[in-house]
Amino acid sequence: MFLTRSEYDRGVNTFSPEGRLFQVEYAIEAIKLGSTTVGIKTPEGVVLGVEKRVQSPLLEASSIEKIMEIDTHLGCAMSGLTADARTMIDHARVTAQNHAFTYDERIKVESVTQAVCDLALRFGESVHDEEAMMSRPFGVALLIAGIDEFGPQLYHTDPSGTFVRYEAKAIGSGSEAAQSELQDKWHKQMTLKEAQILTLRVLKQVMEEKLDQHNVQLAQVTPGKGFEILDEALLQAVIEEM
Amino acid sequence: MPDMHSLAQAQPQQQSFNPYTENGGTILAIAGADFSVIAGDTRQSEGYNIQTRYAPKVFRLTDKAVLAVNGFAADGNMFVKKVRQRLEWYRHAHAKDMPIRAIARLIQTMLYSRRFFPYYVYNILGGIEEDGTGAVYSFDPVGSYEREACRAAGAAQSLVQPFLDNQIYFKNQTPAPGTSFPRHLPLPTVLSLVIDSFTSATERHIEVGDGLEIYVVLSKNSPSIQGLRDVRGVTELTATEDGERVFVVRRELKKD
Amino acid sequence: MDHFPTNWGRPRNDAYDPYGTFPLPHRPNNHAKDTFAEGVQRTQQPIVTGTSVLALKYKDGIMMAADTLASYGSLARFKDVTRLHPVGNYTVIGAGGDMSDFQYIQKFLDELIIDEFTAQDGHDLGPAQIHEYLSQVMYSRRSKINPLWNSLLVGGFKDGKSFLAYVDLLGTTYSASTLATGYGAYLAQPLLRKEVEGKEDTLTAEEAVRIMETCIRVLYYRDARSIDKYQLATITAEGIKIIDSRPISTSWSFAEGIRGYGAQTQ
Repeated sequence: MFLTRSEYDRGVNTFSPEGRLFQVEYAIEAIKLGSTTVGIKTPEGVVLGVEKRVQSPLLEASSIEKIMEIDTHLGCAMSGLTADARTMIDHARVTAQNHAFTYDERIKVESVTQAVCDLALRFGESVHDEEAMMSRPFGVALLIAGIDEFGPQLYHTDPSGTFVRYEAKAIGSGSEAAQSELQDKWHKQMTLKEAQILTLRVLKQVMEEKLDQHNVQLAQVTPGKGFEILDEALLQAVIEEM
Repeated sequence: MPDMHSLAQAQPQQQSFNPYTENGGTILAIAGADFSVIAGDTRQSEGYNIQTRYAPKVFRLTDKAVLAVNGFAADGNMFVKKVRQRLEWYRHAHAKDMPIRAIARLIQTMLYSRRFFPYYVYNILGGIEEDGTGAVYSFDPVGSYEREACRAAGAAQSLVQPFLDNQIYFKNQTPAPGTSFPRHLPLPTVLSLVIDSFTSATERHIEVGDGLEIYVVLSKNSPSIQGLRDVRGVTELTATEDGERVFVVRRELKKD
Repeated sequence: MDHFPTNWGRPRNDAYDPYGTFPLPHRPNNHAKDTFAEGVQRTQQPIVTGTSVLALKYKDGIMMAADTLASYGSLARFKDVTRLHPVGNYTVIGAGGDMSDFQYIQKFLDELIIDEFTAQDGHDLGPAQIHEYLSQVMYSRRSKINPLWNSLLVGGFKDGKSFLAYVDLLGTTYSASTLATGYGAYLAQPLLRKEVEGKEDTLTAEEAVRIMETCIRVLYYRDARSIDKYQLATITAEGIKIIDSRPISTSWSFAEGIRGYGAQTQ
């Protein structure tokens, strides 16, 4: 597929004559290899769900971490090169804490998303005598969920540093099928419970293995309890309700 | 007259540059239930000299926040300039005006960042909280701060604060049997207290006088607007459609 | 404002050098504070100093006056120094305090004006902009504990509006319809306020000159660091005019009646 590409896919900051940055596009491709990740916004809060690919029966499923807390009111699910996400989430956490320290208020979901996306474009050559931070774009996409004065929100970021707000979004290998399923089933007045079930149903559809409490993870952000990852018992209960 | 002989004997002393001075004046702020009043005189002085009869010490930051700055005027003006710059950056970054609680915290971090070469200024921040209540935050020069119902600062703090303690907090007063003191006073009462505070401070303190600027911040649809109806010399300064409204009342004070 | 430039920016200390005889009898000992302190020279005191500058608003714009003496301590060292300086086409600055620092200020403001001119962007700096710029320089120098030891008046007229403001070594700024630095703040400012306040829009140039001369004369009588030669600047819609230094008329006949001055022998 990529064999015909020219010298333009080597430099991270060289446009091709058609006006494309190939390395960024390849990074976006990398996400399509990642596990499926789903986010759904409801008036009661935002639900995040990920598929954990347990490749070996000897693997401790609980050690796979694809949903992380940014702040008490902010959570994040990822797909792609999850190692890259650690840098981004670390930056998001510092940004959120700095905001709380300086302004004595919780940072907005859009602001923390913007901060992460600012970081996403710092690849390439250094400016002045500053050390180059990164040699390549991030190979990960994020779903950032949170609640602020504008209510529950869900943002999607990709390696190009673009961010868009969604009502419901799927990323990763099964994203095409998952997204069209979300489009079918999502509605405005969904309850949190309905969103949890829909998340699992969508994941189940695109997963190769049989879905159980070990190979998926659910998290939510609600006005009352903020960000929380559902423990196995709660997850089990939702799976049974499916 | 100092003993010149012993001075000549004294060790050579290092005369170093003192980067500070005091420019007199007084500020105060009082929070009501759904409004806030922030005032300051307009005299700027150094020693016995009146430098100018009109140098504002009270500044509108947003439609919900007004900052009064007193102490070393050069530091004060620079500080207000820097706060405004931060508010604009915040507006660009977060697409909203900074809430007063956030401004208060920001001022703390800005003051404390200069802990070892302080801005020699006392700040009083007044305005409307996000829940619509009137707020007053007061600061020391290195950033200690608290929210309270009223505060006076500056040259005549020692004259004005006890008066406010008595009239706002009803200190050293006992309510008539079966009654209690109000938690918040109405706007006309507060305006009278402010004007009385400044006319009295002008009488008894040489660094206070010339002019008075009283800023009034009202919360959304505040009925306290009635209290401004018959006030002489009111100008509206509201800039946004957010609902909070800012007014300034300008008055003369004695110039001697 | 303390009338001894030597004391400016210092804690008030009446016991130290009360007669302002700096720097001749004894200078403060600037001991090295650390190994490298000798490598850093900062202005800790003014050396050659100018005294008061006066300015007022009148009908046509701004009038500014200053005598032409630059003192070395109590020595009248330079007797025809220019302390009023035009900056661009709309502004005059007048300086008291250290004359070398003032000449440095003139230099960088002239460079600023040239830079702005070469831009040819249809923008030129008015008095308000020059005052703001100067204030930022003065404040940032004081914040580095390396002040420019001056008190400056900035007067100007642009776009039909007159401008008059002050800035000093601490970065303190203010604006009023009459301003005076140094001893002038004590001796001339009350006279100026009485004559000008409320009459800014009606006062004629002739009246303004008369007021200025009165003030300069009073200062010459009472300020030991002044001289009977002064310059006068006007900034109006017609532009800047700085009149060559000229003497102020004085009358000493009153001295005849004063014991210790006149011809009395007893």
